[in-house]
Amino acid sequence: MTVSTDQHKEGKKDVTFRVFRFNPQVDSKPYFDDYTIPVERGVTVLRSLNYIKEHIDGSVSFRAFCQAGICGSCGMRVNGLSQLACTTQVWDVLAKSREPGIIKVEPLRNLPLIKDLIVDMDPLVDKMKHYANWVDSTMPEAQMGKKEFLISEEEFLRYDKATDCILCASCVSECSILRANKEYVSPAVLLKSYRMNVDSRDSMHEQRLAELVKDHGVWDCTHCYRCQESCVKSIPIMDAIHGIREDAIESRGKNDTSGSKHAEAFMTDIEKKGKLVEATLPIRTNGVVWTMQNLLPMAMKMIMKRRTPPPPPLVKSVKGIKIFRTMFREMTEHVKQDHKSHKK
Amino acid sequence: MKPFDIVIVGGGGAGLYAAMEAMKTNPALNIAVLSKVYPNRSHTSAAQGGANAALGNKAKDDTVEMHIFDTIKGSDYLADQDAVDVLCSEAPKIIRELENMGTPWSRMDDNTIAQRPFGGAGRPRCCYCSDKTGHTILQTLYEQCLKKGVIFFNEYFALNLSVGGSRSNGLIAMNMKTGKVEAFPAKTVIFATGGYAKMYWNRSSNAAGNTGDGQAIAYRAGIALKDMEFVQFHPTGLRKSGLLVTEGARGEGGYLLNKDGERFMARYAPEKMELGPRDLVSRSLETEILQGRGFDSPAGKYLHLDLTHLGADLIKSRLPQIREMSMNFEGVDPIEEPIPVRPTAHYSMGGIDTDNQTRTVMEGVYAAGECGCVSVHGANRLGGNSLLDILVFGRIAGRTAAEEAGKFTPGTISEAELAAQFEEIRGGMHPSGRYERYGELREALGQTLALNVGIFRESSLLQKGISEIAVLKERFKKVRISDSSDVFNTNLMQVLELKNMLDLAETVAAGAYARQESRGSHTRIDFPVRDDSNWHKHTLATLVKGNVTLGEKPVTMGRYELQERTY
Ligand SMILES: Cc1cc2nc3c(=O)[nH]c(=O)nc-3n(C[C@H](O)[C@H](O)[C@H](O)COP(=O)(O)OP(=O)(O)OC[C@H]3O[C@@H](n4cnc5c(N)ncnc54)[C@H](O)[C@@H]3O)c2cc1C
Ligand code: SF4
Ligand code: SF4
Ligand code: FES
Repeated sequence: MTVSTDQHKEGKKDVTFRVFRFNPQVDSKPYFDDYTIPVERGVTVLRSLNYIKEHIDGSVSFRAFCQAGICGSCGMRVNGLSQLACTTQVWDVLAKSREPGIIKVEPLRNLPLIKDLIVDMDPLVDKMKHYANWVDSTMPEAQMGKKEFLISEEEFLRYDKATDCILCASCVSECSILRANKEYVSPAVLLKSYRMNVDSRDSMHEQRLAELVKDHGVWDCTHCYRCQESCVKSIPIMDAIHGIREDAIESRGKNDTSGSKHAEAFMTDIEKKGKLVEATLPIRTNGVVWTMQNLLPMAMKMIMKRRTPPPPPLVKSVKGIKIFRTMFREMTEHVKQDHKSHKK
Repeated sequence: MKPFDIVIVGGGGAGLYAAMEAMKTNPALNIAVLSKVYPNRSHTSAAQGGANAALGNKAKDDTVEMHIFDTIKGSDYLADQDAVDVLCSEAPKIIRELENMGTPWSRMDDNTIAQRPFGGAGRPRCCYCSDKTGHTILQTLYEQCLKKGVIFFNEYFALNLSVGGSRSNGLIAMNMKTGKVEAFPAKTVIFATGGYAKMYWNRSSNAAGNTGDGQAIAYRAGIALKDMEFVQFHPTGLRKSGLLVTEGARGEGGYLLNKDGERFMARYAPEKMELGPRDLVSRSLETEILQGRGFDSPAGKYLHLDLTHLGADLIKSRLPQIREMSMNFEGVDPIEEPIPVRPTAHYSMGGIDTDNQTRTVMEGVYAAGECGCVSVHGANRLGGNSLLDILVFGRIAGRTAAEEAGKFTPGTISEAELAAQFEEIRGGMHPSGRYERYGELREALGQTLALNVGIFRESSLLQKGISEIAVLKERFKKVRISDSSDVFNTNLMQVLELKNMLDLAETVAAGAYARQESRGSHTRIDFPVRDDSNWHKHTLATLVKGNVTLGEKPVTMGRYELQERTY
């Protein structure tokens, strides 16, 4: 007991790090190891892991490089939330810990596990390649270096925040769609794609967009905002996702893909009724044939269980729909204006 | 594995530019880039300030010639003037090239690339992207390499060159994912593995992997290293981690205080105070600590960088990054309390000796970036010249190797050699009986370097440093790897990095001991002035029969005569 009061004086706390362990060579399934160490204020999760590796168990494996929050190596889940170990304060995590004195450290989700806290980043790199996450310059290679493109501050600001991305994959780990569909484009790749698409030096906006609207692309996102909330650089990722969608509707038309049709049907319902007409949403999104083939069996089941949504004529407009419609129109008008001034 | 035309070791700015340029020069070549971290993680991403080029966007009267002069003067006349010519004349073109490929430079009112003033430069010629210049340059290069289809071997750790006679057969590396030792037979090899300032460990601003692997590999293969004694210290590193608090903090009016609460810079630079030149301020902090006016803590002695008088508003609006760093890494909010700081090893001027085309003495082996030494920085590099160096000479390396690859026949690397390598790294490092701990040795190396081969150097200290490093090398023979797994054995990687640092530390200390003068970053208390008649020359360090052997190389002069360096 005296030990702990002494430690308190020095401003130290005993902390148990419950670390996810898996070595594919010997383990058939993952398990957790507990390491308890004294931690003073100002110490990060990464420094604690380094301490454990050097003083207790050299086999604990994780990635780290810059130790300053700029290289993106040390993404991992700390008490369930994906973040950078090197910028995360132990005491801050403790203050919010559900189990007092315990910090759980696990690898990022949605990427293949290699060992302990290390996951395979290659799938992310492959997606960056697939969606052409580079500027394909309008300047021919032979002409490069002779003169600058003139870029306005305004254009620069359009992609400034997006270029903060350090590819740490925290957002990837938090994405709800990726959990179900590993082929999904991924929030970081959407962000980068957007950044390229709004760069006036780039020449392949159309091709990139054509790829983004296909299956596993931008229309699969559920707008859950988890990626944005977890972004270690506080990048407004959703702006990029919305940006790509609006761009897709604008330059490829409303009826381009089931995704755009769905978005449009959604808007129409909201404007007309103030809520969704769920029964016909699939038809308007995917067409009659697709709906019959894919959703009829489920619809039958729902009818049996009396859980079908009401048929369209019965869907009443919500209360105050008139005021709502005016507001809605004002809002869409506002957004359009905003975009125009951006494009200039 | 099929032999490569070019194997590039390192995926930082230098390595990636080399890869791109080589593919451009001859698209038919078979090129590979090896990197121990994913390329976008390389330390180039940490550079905040910017890259110098006389674009004349900000100061219309800026010229390449002025940039050349500033660089030569900054180097304390140890840079080779023909190399500096290349560096500065290529600068505007290469910055525009990056711009053309998509680097998001900040912009001036007239929409051209923005430039700002930087230490030691007569005109504001530092091109930047907010405070993330290195990061965005690295992103651009990585993206362009993906576009070009460059073949990457990510998370491969280079171990050694395979040498046959006077030629290299290629590279031997460990695949981190499998632990296998693999052969990369190649006609040419380019080293671009970055700097070695991390040997000062938590007295360094560098990433954990800036351990000079390429330099150590070259050195073991008999290739000469140049000017290794020149290591640049930055005055304000965080106490615990060595991470950098940029000059901005003092620029906005921060004070440096000792434990008596005294603004001690009044003693060393009464006019400029906290804003004196980097090396002078570093020496002042170190003097305060040495004379017992520093604070004590388990993490070592330190001083205060006090921003509290600036007020919360200013700190929040102008110095948000610094505040965040100080809270994240010291647990100190600079609005409430002063930041604990001390000088930190920041940049390595020395490296693999090359000519202006990045060729080393071994045919078919090239080096570029912080890992090479052409030399354009001499005894002291100017801020913003290093990013420029990696771009310009990275590109030259790629082009030269691509043009010369045809001259060479690829060697072969035998299974026996691979097996021997594997045995060396895996077999020999699980000693039974009494063993040494990796962390202890690394800590001791950092300590002895900081104390004896640090900012102030002196004959007896350096001797002490040299003998302590020798003892550490002996102890290293009994180091134990506590992870026995093949898959992603980061413990093994750390130990191999320590071996490289120990080899290089010896060359740094030997060079510093031999050089009996003070020049640029190298300050000898016992030889306080620059001695041009005896020491206006480069130091070469070569490994002969297991020992550092020092030699020399003349400095190439040009239009500028030797002058005293005053600011
Ligand atoms: C905090 C900080 C701020 C800085 N700010 C500036 C600035 O504002 N302006 C400026 O001009 N300079 C600045 N510098 C210096 C500059 O950033 C570096 O000198 C430069 O980025 C080095 O680039 P490089 O390509 O040579 O090496 P790096 O970017 O360090 O890349 C090295 C590469 O080699 C690989 N590698 C290393 N060892 C091995 C191995 N054994 N096997 C396989 N691969 C290996 C790594 O994986 C990495 O990809 C700063 C440096 C620091 C530390
Ligand atoms: S908003 Fe979209 S991209 Fe972001 S986490 Fe949710 S589903 Fe994934
Ligand atoms: S968007 Fe944010 S969280 Fe996602 S990879 Fe980039 S920096 Fe990390
Ligand atoms: S180690 Fe680089 S971001 Fe954490």
